[in-house]
Amino acid sequence: MELIGSNAAAIHVLLVEDSPGDVRLTKEAFKDAKVHVNLHVAADGTAAIAFLERHGKHSNAPRPDLILLDLNLPKKAGREVLAEIKESPTLRSIPVVILTTSAAEADILQSYQLHANCYITKPVGLDGFLKVVRSIDDFWLSVVKLPRESHS
Amino acid sequence: MKPSLNRKVQLALGSVILTFLVGGAISYRSTIVASESDRLVRHTHEVLERLQDLLSAMRSIESSYRGFALTGKESYLESYRSSILSAQQNEVAVGQLTMDNLKQQRQQQALERLAAQQIQFGEMAIRLRQTRGLDEAANAIRSGSGERIMDEFQGEVREMQNEELRLLAVRDKDAARRSRQTKTALFVLTLLGLLIAAIASWIVHREIYGHGLAREALRDSEERYRVLLDEIEGYAIFMMDPLGQIVTWNAGAERIKGYRADQIIGRNFSCFFPPEDIEQGRPEEILRMTAARGRHEEQGMRVRKDGSRFLASVRFTALRDAAGNLRGFSESSHDLSESKESGAKYRGLLEAAPDAMVVVNQTGEIVLLNLQAEKLFGYHRDELIRQKVKNIIPEGFAERLIADGTRTAAEALAQQIGTGIELTGRRKDGSEFPIEIMLSPLSNSEGILVTAAIRDITERKRSEYLLVRTAAELKRSNDELQQFAYVASHDLQEPLRMVASYTQLLAQRYQGRLDSDADEFIAFVTDGCNRMQGLIQDLLTYSRAGTNERELREISCEHALKDALANLRATIKESGAVVTHDSLPTITTDQTQLSQVFQNLVGNAIKYRSADAPRIHVSVAKNGGKEQIFSVRDNGLGIDPQYFERIFILFQRLHGRVEFKGTGIGLAICKKIVERLGGRIWVESQPKEGSTFYFALPKTEER
Repeated sequence: MELIGSNAAAIHVLLVEDSPGDVRLTKEAFKDAKVHVNLHVAADGTAAIAFLERHGKHSNAPRPDLILLDLNLPKKAGREVLAEIKESPTLRSIPVVILTTSAAEADILQSYQLHANCYITKPVGLDGFLKVVRSIDDFWLSVVKLPRESHS
Repeated sequence: MKPSLNRKVQLALGSVILTFLVGGAISYRSTIVASESDRLVRHTHEVLERLQDLLSAMRSIESSYRGFALTGKESYLESYRSSILSAQQNEVAVGQLTMDNLKQQRQQQALERLAAQQIQFGEMAIRLRQTRGLDEAANAIRSGSGERIMDEFQGEVREMQNEELRLLAVRDKDAARRSRQTKTALFVLTLLGLLIAAIASWIVHREIYGHGLAREALRDSEERYRVLLDEIEGYAIFMMDPLGQIVTWNAGAERIKGYRADQIIGRNFSCFFPPEDIEQGRPEEILRMTAARGRHEEQGMRVRKDGSRFLASVRFTALRDAAGNLRGFSESSHDLSESKESGAKYRGLLEAAPDAMVVVNQTGEIVLLNLQAEKLFGYHRDELIRQKVKNIIPEGFAERLIADGTRTAAEALAQQIGTGIELTGRRKDGSEFPIEIMLSPLSNSEGILVTAAIRDITERKRSEYLLVRTAAELKRSNDELQQFAYVASHDLQEPLRMVASYTQLLAQRYQGRLDSDADEFIAFVTDGCNRMQGLIQDLLTYSRAGTNERELREISCEHALKDALANLRATIKESGAVVTHDSLPTITTDQTQLSQVFQNLVGNAIKYRSADAPRIHVSVAKNGGKEQIFSVRDNGLGIDPQYFERIFILFQRLHGRVEFKGTGIGLAICKKIVERLGGRIWVESQPKEGSTFYFALPKTEER
């Protein structure tokens, strides 16, 4: 578990991503973000759920304001994580952005049926990727009003 | 049924005997009555005589005691005593004779009383004469007491005599009446007997005379028939009496049924039937039906003398005399399995059939079969005829001919007709093989024969099995391909993205800070990554092309073309291309995929343009027949005919990457889509003269 930045008032983003390269790229992209982002990373689905439900070492984990979720994950697949989040009364209000390499229609449809808040295919090039992350920053973290819940 | 002659004669004789028996009984009774009458007459006369004797005795008593009283002679006294004895005897006799008559008994008692008084008076007169003498006695007598008693006695006797005479008269009258009745009865009975005898003899005469005529007529016609019939060998023709006993026999019957005339005449025709028919009373039923309707026709199994069975077509006719009395039956039949006319035709038909044909009766016996059937099952014809069909088709056939609880046999059969039934056949060597049978009824009044066309479906079964296996393999390989596409889309792209992204990051951050070689190498890496990504994307597109099982709908081809042109808007604008089209039809297909084909073809036409501004025309051929043929014509570079095949192959390119971008997938995708839609695609072109790409889609059937 890595933590980028240390501002307590900052926005917490949970990135569920098993590819270290993508994690690094995402981090690079968020460096230029308008808002200060505390990026938490879970490398698989199980870790993501543990973080969200504050199990074990995550007992002091903050409640993320946004979740970036890859679909192809070890241990527990992204769609399972999505389903669990959206079934949980306490977690379902957290916006979930699916960020994946898959452009398959089936994946897109299924994700929205599981109440994903938006679905983004990872662009191939670096520029494209940076642009996408910046868009997320612009839209989800600046434009959108997120629920500021503080219950545990 | 009318009574036979015998019966009539018996009836008449019986009537006559009965008549005379009754007459005899009446006579006997009348004799008994007459003798009784006689006895009564004799009885009456006896009573009258006894009464007369009694009266005489009483008179004698009176005169005797008078005589003694006057004369005193002892002889009178003797006469007196004997007269008393005689009177007493007669008195007793009268008493006995009139025991049965109450009135006479009373009279008789009066007689006894009067007799006693007279005797008492007599005794007194005698005693007076003996003791007092003549005068005293004469006085006593003169007093008239004795005379008065005598008169009274005489009156009583007369009365009794009259009574007896009256009874006699009554009895005589009665006897005369009975005698008259008897006479009348005997006369009537005699007349009746004579009448019955006359009627009976008339009937007997008529019967014997009539029968004689009929028999004579029958003999005549029999003679004529025999001559005629013996010349007919193809038909068994014979006659029977009303009970089915055979009376004539022709040569055809001998040949077909196997009996000589002397072996069969006098036997019942039921011996031609199989035991199961006899058990069910079929022969009797046939005679009954024939008698009722005059004739009866059927096809059925018959049994020869040697016990073998054959299918016969049989006609029965009832024979009646002029008066309408049943004289017997005639039967004419022929063996259907050997019949020279229809049988031969039928067998010819059977032999001409491409399938093995077997004709089976309802008991599951094979009646006929063709050469193909012999070959198919490996038997000789003789080994199968009249054998159970179960021998060659162990299960599923014979059972279908049998009625079950809910269906009659005819219904059971009707349900099978015209549908192929897959069963298992068994050859003579015991090996089994799959067959398909089709059942149809043989034209037959009772619907009891079934023709089965049997086809060996070993090859078909094998093909079916191969087809199923191939289809399964194809599905598996398709599934694997799909899986590969998914793997390619994710797992191959991931590392590629890493290479591309970090190379770019390197380029961005370290541009100019490394040497020029490094910048060049980085550029190659980036280019390689981009092309790799392009290939993977195209591969994905190709693998998905035509696989989306969208429902085919009726769509406008013009709409599909417009969608394609909309996607190409930028390219068209940039190149200054002019795209025209004919009026395009409405067809049933997948609009998205058709649009993809148009887009790729028009896109290629623009891409491989010549120095002139591209002019592209989309049209549809008028004489497509069963196909809808579209064409996309351009004025571009054209293609050397030797590459016509190659251009449709995945990743095959005719030009270097420097001249034209692209992976070489556009036409491969077009080919795949068109073929998935059941069509074909080809090109006509010459270098520098432009190209025309054609694709044909099947027309949907007119509704």
